[in-house]
Amino acid sequence: MEKLFHLLIMTEKKIKNIFVQGAISADFIADSIAKHSSKTEIGGHSIFLGQVRADEIDEKQVAAIDYTAYEELALAQMHQIREDVFSKYPLSCMHVHHSLGVVNAGEICLFVFTSSKHRKPAMDACDELVERIKAELPIWGKEIFADASHQWKENK
Amino acid sequence: MEIEIISFGKIAELVNLKNLNIDGIKDTDGLQKHLEAVFPKLKEIKYKLALNKQIIHANSPLTSGSVVAIMPPFSGG
Repeated sequence: MEKLFHLLIMTEKKIKNIFVQGAISADFIADSIAKHSSKTEIGGHSIFLGQVRADEIDEKQVAAIDYTAYEELALAQMHQIREDVFSKYPLSCMHVHHSLGVVNAGEICLFVFTSSKHRKPAMDACDELVERIKAELPIWGKEIFADASHQWKENK
Repeated sequence: MEIEIISFGKIAELVNLKNLNIDGIKDTDGLQKHLEAVFPKLKEIKYKLALNKQIIHANSPLTSGSVVAIMPPFSGG
């Protein structure tokens, strides 16, 4: 029974929530970097920051993106991606955060942070994570224009 | 038999169903045909289905209480 309980806690712990409400702040990113100063085996970090771009579409400018997700499925998919990337690269750490709700143009909506002993695995893993997050996670961005009209974003 | 439908992104603006009685429909291919007949615009959109929180790539049987998600192309990040 105790063993089962332990197993449940372990499994529970493994499904990490990646979603944050609204934009990801520079403070949050700075704190996240600072937290790694005690992990002195790390020699290189790689960080990707996705920022909402003020695209111009038919003479209208994107003011914000409103993100929604099929959260349960997205977290399960992310769990698999995390496992795959961890088994492919010798990483010390991996952190992924994605916004939900409204993120204004110029604000950060995706934060991917990998660390390893040497730079190359951190950089390659970060790149692979970003590609897979964009292609495989059930997340949708609604581009909101200044006049409050909208269109659904499509990833290229 | 009743199933639950959830839809996302631009499909959520098109398909506003929650519970659907699907007597006579036994699998996701049948459901897809039914939905495209009721919501013809769905035929013009690329979409994937998830059955009980798993993305499906082939026709799958439906049972009472199945949860089917209709998902347009992803655009996260």
